[in-house]
Amino acid sequence: MSDRKLPRLLQTPAVLLLLVWMLIPLGITLYFSFIRYVLNSLRHPEWTSPSLSNWRGFGNYQFVLNSKDFLLAIQNSLFIVCSILFLTVILGVLIAVLINKSFPGQGIVRVLLISPFFVMPAVNAVLWINMILDPVLGLQGIAVGGINDILDGMRTMPVLGGFFSLWPEFEPISFRATQTSAIAVIMMVTWQWTPFAVLIFMTSLQSEDQQQKEAATLDGAGTWSQFRFLTLPHLGRPIAIVVMIQAIFHLSLYAEIEIVSRGNGNKNLPYLIGEFANNNIGAASATGIFAVILANIVAIFLLRMVGKTLME
Amino acid sequence: MGRIVLDKVTKSFGETQVIPPLDLTIENGEFTVFVGPSGCGKSTLLRMIAGLEDLTSGNILIDGEDATEVPPSKRGLAMVFQSYALYPHMTVRKNIGFPLRMEKMSQAEIDERVEAAAKSLNLVDYLDRKPGQLSGGQRQRVAIGRAIVRDPSAFLFDEPLSNLDAALRVGMRLEISEMHERMQTTMIYVTHDQVEAMTMADRIVVLQAGVIEQVGTPLELYHKPQNVFVAGFIGSPKMNIFSGPEAEKHGAATIGIRPEHTDVSMSEGTWKGTVGVAEHLGSDTFIHVHNTGLADMITVRISGDISVKHGDTIYLTPQAEQIHKFDAQGLRIE
Ligand SMILES: Nc1ncnc2c1ncn2[C@@H]1O[C@H](COP(=O)(O)OP(=O)(O)OP(=O)(O)O)[C@@H](O)[C@H]1O
Ligand SMILES: [Mg+2]
Repeated sequence: MSDRKLPRLLQTPAVLLLLVWMLIPLGITLYFSFIRYVLNSLRHPEWTSPSLSNWRGFGNYQFVLNSKDFLLAIQNSLFIVCSILFLTVILGVLIAVLINKSFPGQGIVRVLLISPFFVMPAVNAVLWINMILDPVLGLQGIAVGGINDILDGMRTMPVLGGFFSLWPEFEPISFRATQTSAIAVIMMVTWQWTPFAVLIFMTSLQSEDQQQKEAATLDGAGTWSQFRFLTLPHLGRPIAIVVMIQAIFHLSLYAEIEIVSRGNGNKNLPYLIGEFANNNIGAASATGIFAVILANIVAIFLLRMVGKTLME
Repeated sequence: MGRIVLDKVTKSFGETQVIPPLDLTIENGEFTVFVGPSGCGKSTLLRMIAGLEDLTSGNILIDGEDATEVPPSKRGLAMVFQSYALYPHMTVRKNIGFPLRMEKMSQAEIDERVEAAAKSLNLVDYLDRKPGQLSGGQRQRVAIGRAIVRDPSAFLFDEPLSNLDAALRVGMRLEISEMHERMQTTMIYVTHDQVEAMTMADRIVVLQAGVIEQVGTPLELYHKPQNVFVAGFIGSPKMNIFSGPEAEKHGAATIGIRPEHTDVSMSEGTWKGTVGVAEHLGSDTFIHVHNTGLADMITVRISGDISVKHGDTIYLTPQAEQIHKFDAQGLRIE
């Protein structure tokens, strides 16, 4: 045996395990996506067990592509993920830069800032949709009600009353509705994941070279220029990491969507897979393959973008 | 122009006063070196001049104008840091051009000035590299380039060569000296390397614990140290300094004699001792002499080679006119 062979041989079990770990689920999904396979069928009982004799070719893919929810789900997935990424990165950088300066009570503020991250996603969703965003009982309802009460009071004022009576009553927004439920999801997930971004950016800020900043001060760079030309490029890599990790996590959002609107008008790919999987495993698998492809495209695209704009 | 006047400046960090009231005038075009032991406040003083550190009290005047409250970028000074402080995400071209870009200069003019600076520093081939892809010496040049393009009224250097290896240090030392000859701009240079101080400076400022011990040309400091501290600090190997009966013979509390001003003989002389270590450098020999009854050890420097062995008896004779005498306060007696 040559020098190389023994180490290779000893590595094989681990490599095999990893391959099995990844490839078997992917293989099974691929296999299911090419056959007719449903959980329940009175007319075609033979479809209820997976078998090559039920081969459907690209039929499942075609079925998924033609289903009315598919495009919506892709759009929605992208819309939700991109919005969350955009908001968390911007908020994260701003907050991290702010609390990186030393001020009294720094420790407490940092702990409080991180805390949303420890809330379970389902709890987070229930909390937001019922206690904050609910148009009647939530914070939103109460706030809008309060503003309307004040407006009512103003309308009875002697001179200005006429002006204020031109104003309409404010209507609370229902975040369970078709058009707005995605917004509700974006808000709650942003709230939950901003701390993650802050945490990563803060560690990176602490390793920033202070002499570079002094040199920049002497070179005539103001606070904004220092932020733009030194801090932001320095944060380039952590931003890429935050974007990458979050993209992967948020493409598979499920609990929030289920709790806010039960997918009403606001499906994403995982939710669609869940719906198909109630019966049509073949279609669910095909959607799953689409989801894998989408995730890869998104990841590559986002990384390119972050790398280009920040690292110059 | 670049005449810098420090008027009773002080600096305290919290309770501890690092710089007691200090006056100093740096003339236009002068190459001034700050030397002193570690922690004596050299960097702090330089940073105060640059504006990176606020004064606790006192004033700084640049070209006659009070610059105490002027922000760093408006003082017209450029600084080169020990760690180079290059911007790691920018190419060499962008690094050098950064101060000009901040001045909102036109791109054409920036390019022209950067090219000129790069040419004078032999950086033309590296303009499109990032600092991470350069050697230490090249990085140092980029840092100097970034200072040159601004056309400052004075350059401030904080131990710019201490991260380089010995050979490069000699080269860069010459380059900076030549740069000064060419531009005739005021330069303030902090170092704790004697050789750098002696070879580069027009004037040396010796600091100890924030206090100026002496200001003078390198040769003034060498030939006429004002006090025991300067006498021991300037010169390598160090001056032999001792007090006691031998000093009283010369009417002083303390006397000092440089190693190179002591004659050696194997048979007769003023002081008798035994040879310890002999360091043969080829051109010179340093002999450590023990058991003289004057100090723990006396160093002598002999030009050329001499064959002495450990334990040999040796006689030393100081050159009378080269003996430095100091009073009980440690001040020079003429
Ligand atoms: N930010 C600071 N806070 C408190 N003390 C400081 C601060 N900066 C410097 N000091 C103190 O001021 C004194 C002078 O420091 P400085 O950096 O000027 O020394 P230096 O002469 O440059 O030494 P070195 O040759 O080691 O660079 C030191 O005793 C140091 O501990
Ligand atoms: Mg220093």
